[in-house]
Amino acid sequence: MVAMATYQEFIQQNEDRDGVRFSWNLWPSSRLEATRLVVPVSCLFTPLKERPDLPPVQYEPVLCSRANCKAVLNPLCQVDFRAKIWACNFCFQRNPFPPSYAGISDVNQPAELMPQFSTIEYIVQRGPPTPLIFLYVVDTCLEEEDLQALRESLQMSLSLLPPNALVGLITFGRMVQVHELSCEGIAKSYVFRGTKELSAKQIQEMLGLMKPAASGPQGRPVAPQDPSATCRFLQPVHKVDMNLTDLLGELQRDPWPVPQGKRPLRSTGIAMSIAVGLLEGTYPNTGARVMLFTGGPPTQGPGMVVGDELKTPIRSWHDITKDNARHLKKATKYYEALASRAAVNGHSIDIYACALDQTGLLEMKCLSNLTGGHISMGDSFNTSLFKQTFQRVFSKDYNGDFRMAFGGTLEVKTSRELKVSGAIGPCVSLNAKGPCVSENELGVGGTTQWKICGLSPSTTLALYFEVVNQHNAPIPQGGRGAIQFVTQYQHSNTQKRIRVTTIARNWADAQSQIQHIESSFDQEASAVIMARLGVFRAESEDGPDVLRWLDRQLIRLCQKFGQFNKDDPTSFKLSESLSLYPQFMFHLRRSPFLQVFNNSPDECSYYRHHFVRQDLTQSLIMIQPILYSYSFHGPPEPVLLDSGSILPDRILLMDTFFQLVIYHGETIAQWRKAGYQEQPEYENFKHLLVAPLDDAQEILQNRFPMPRYIDTEHGGSQARFLLSKVNPSQTHNNLYAWGQETGAPILTDDVSLQVFMDHLKKLAVSSAA
Amino acid sequence: MEAEDLYIKPGNHERGWNDPPQFSYGLQTAAQGGPKRAPLNKRVPPPQLTGSLCPVSRATPMIPFSPPSNPLAPPPCSMNTPLQSCLVAAPPISGMMMAMPPPPCPVVEQTHSASGQSESEPDVDDVVALLNWALAACRHTVKKQVCDDVAKRLKLFEDMWKSGKLSLPVRRRMNGLVQVCPVLLLSELKSRNWDAADEIHRALIVDHVNEVSQWMVGVKRLIAETRNLNPDLLHTPEADPIIDNRSTADSE
Repeated sequence: MVAMATYQEFIQQNEDRDGVRFSWNLWPSSRLEATRLVVPVSCLFTPLKERPDLPPVQYEPVLCSRANCKAVLNPLCQVDFRAKIWACNFCFQRNPFPPSYAGISDVNQPAELMPQFSTIEYIVQRGPPTPLIFLYVVDTCLEEEDLQALRESLQMSLSLLPPNALVGLITFGRMVQVHELSCEGIAKSYVFRGTKELSAKQIQEMLGLMKPAASGPQGRPVAPQDPSATCRFLQPVHKVDMNLTDLLGELQRDPWPVPQGKRPLRSTGIAMSIAVGLLEGTYPNTGARVMLFTGGPPTQGPGMVVGDELKTPIRSWHDITKDNARHLKKATKYYEALASRAAVNGHSIDIYACALDQTGLLEMKCLSNLTGGHISMGDSFNTSLFKQTFQRVFSKDYNGDFRMAFGGTLEVKTSRELKVSGAIGPCVSLNAKGPCVSENELGVGGTTQWKICGLSPSTTLALYFEVVNQHNAPIPQGGRGAIQFVTQYQHSNTQKRIRVTTIARNWADAQSQIQHIESSFDQEASAVIMARLGVFRAESEDGPDVLRWLDRQLIRLCQKFGQFNKDDPTSFKLSESLSLYPQFMFHLRRSPFLQVFNNSPDECSYYRHHFVRQDLTQSLIMIQPILYSYSFHGPPEPVLLDSGSILPDRILLMDTFFQLVIYHGETIAQWRKAGYQEQPEYENFKHLLVAPLDDAQEILQNRFPMPRYIDTEHGGSQARFLLSKVNPSQTHNNLYAWGQETGAPILTDDVSLQVFMDHLKKLAVSSAA
Repeated sequence: MEAEDLYIKPGNHERGWNDPPQFSYGLQTAAQGGPKRAPLNKRVPPPQLTGSLCPVSRATPMIPFSPPSNPLAPPPCSMNTPLQSCLVAAPPISGMMMAMPPPPCPVVEQTHSASGQSESEPDVDDVVALLNWALAACRHTVKKQVCDDVAKRLKLFEDMWKSGKLSLPVRRRMNGLVQVCPVLLLSELKSRNWDAADEIHRALIVDHVNEVSQWMVGVKRLIAETRNLNPDLLHTPEADPIIDNRSTADSE
């Protein structure tokens, strides 16, 4: 059996090669034992993880001929080279190789049979290539400074788009304008009222679009023969860039006067419905991005979030819990319906919301969450936070291709002992029933296929499985179970591609091999996987219920794997493979993903949006921020996220994903103030000051979305960003017990990790539990 | 990319709380492809849980905190000189405070006024002449209305330059842009040179959008149209009305 150290390597290798991290890397061989492990057999899967070392192959994958299997030929399949036959490792069907494989032998194997190609990507021919589509939907109820900054960012983006991309422009305020784009000088637009709900058909008729989709069979690309001729609203960038630059430059603030005490009338709902309808009618099943730029909440028409009376504030958590948020349900339903339509057509929707107050992300979030779109939340369009986040949407990979993919479908196939319970991520169900579907849903279940309309190389889904083997049944034949992930998508270079990842894990008897199973536990993956379940529940359940559920799972896990004498909390120990896990749960409980206190409904929606799509490393940073300490005592080192780590002669760098904080301890701050770093003999102090700045810069340059950046020191008002995240091991309540010189006491009545752990131990060892 | 094109500006703190610094296009693209340093993603387990304090997972062992050093003493110095008394304890001298404004972010200012080609002020007429020369070559095949539109923007560019509305970095980078255009080499068309010109145009619009947004799209279109041209067109005399301005640009 593999030892602990090699599990670390095994886990890392699997993440690097296959983009997958499993909660358990040995699988319990029966349903009953699996449920006793508390954390389900599950994984984080990054379908398009960047693999510079993996050139795609230029042929079609070979599929199993059994109609309800159709698994892709992979290195786990048994091959009879002489008879040119392969056996499917999922359904055991024997399949002849296609004629083009006539030349194969054990020394002449196609890539997909080689073990190092457990992940392989195929470039396939599926209809004519279609250009990428970017439809800008722009709120004009902005302050002049914001509108100017937004105009410039949009003009700038035309230089970042691929030249053959199609681009469109819809602007809205009280009315909605759909702009015709042409190379000629005359600007023409179609104006819609912002209050009247229109069906997709009405919108398409009013815009004079053809109706190709109406009679065509569903699910087939039915793009018009020459779409650029039929749709004057979506034109190639290289043809209209000059006129569009002028059009954007001349965008005016919404001309309707806004009386005192009123909000501007903002027809976001109708504008989005027109955007969705326009793409639905012209480019169904083609990669497209709707990009909404808004500076305030929708205030009229369908999808309104708040009325235009300023004296009525936008809904708060308090209003929501008191069932006093008048527009919440209706607006949410409206945007969900729009999101579903966009998802059906494979279109992705981004929201760039910049305002000091809430903008209705709570109601609109589904537009992005269900379609794989981005949400960016800032104070103003004239900030580096917005500008750079927006620029990075168009960032490119090592091949010079955009880091975005469209119209993805993920299909999961399992060997017989496993079924698929569900997925949590920026996806929607495709309702694909089949033998692999579990009746026990976790996340979005009841299917083996999901649609992911917009993907980036970091887009990550959590997938949950159920072991269905009966208790006391022998370990399944072959000793291991397998899962295949098949991701079909449109690459940003317009190629259609299929990426196939096939993995296997050994089955283990949970009674005789529990220690092996324990050492195969991936606590980082498990923390994120359980956190996603918690966040998914929090969308529909009360916060306290979710916390109680998480606590119960943690206690059960500690009961199962802790070493202790009954009723003796001091004897409690966890092995190394679980040693970080309770701490992750402690910080998760305090995180904005589960705590609504101090966060508006919009902020929570924003944080959760990012949490359920990022890869493991980023997700874990969100759960438990990273804290590094810089001092003269050695190289920078990770330290406990604890008030005890706040020392006078240290500089701390904290990364919460959404914020980067540099905190100068008291002494460091005084030295800095005294200017020692400018004296040549104190050059080492200068280096010490610079080191965390350099590290912060590296993070800032690579993070999407751009985080806030806080440079503060002991006693600074902004130090609160650090103090609110660290474990309050020293508070005003217990300060004297801890002595004065170590760490920084926090003014809080929050439970500390120590108290939390004491309770956890007590409950875990209790014979009553 | 010149070193002066790699810089960081502070964020807009008037409009966004804790707005992050803004990276120039050059720094941003370098970061996208460049090697990454080891990510800061390690954690330490709480001391009370495990039997040992062994490193687990990505964590490194927790080093017990050394006692805080005497706040009255200045930082240890590499030269090992005994450190004189306590500046820290004394109230900060105001002059010193002024001398050291706290850096709001890791700012790498565009300090040194550059080296190499950028020492000299580029000549507007040279730059405009080259662009117009390319435009004239395009007029053979590209629609008149497009060419007129480009011409209008080149004029705007020229006017803004001449009336002092363009900053030195923009003027220099526009000069750099026309220098890499293969039009000027009058030899072979190398697509990577067009790519380089295109890249400079992107860097300019990302870094200086407020100065260049109105006319840069004309330059962008000019690059796109010229790279589509039949190379012969760039060599015909009638496509070269400004040839006499440039002794080197011999089209024969």
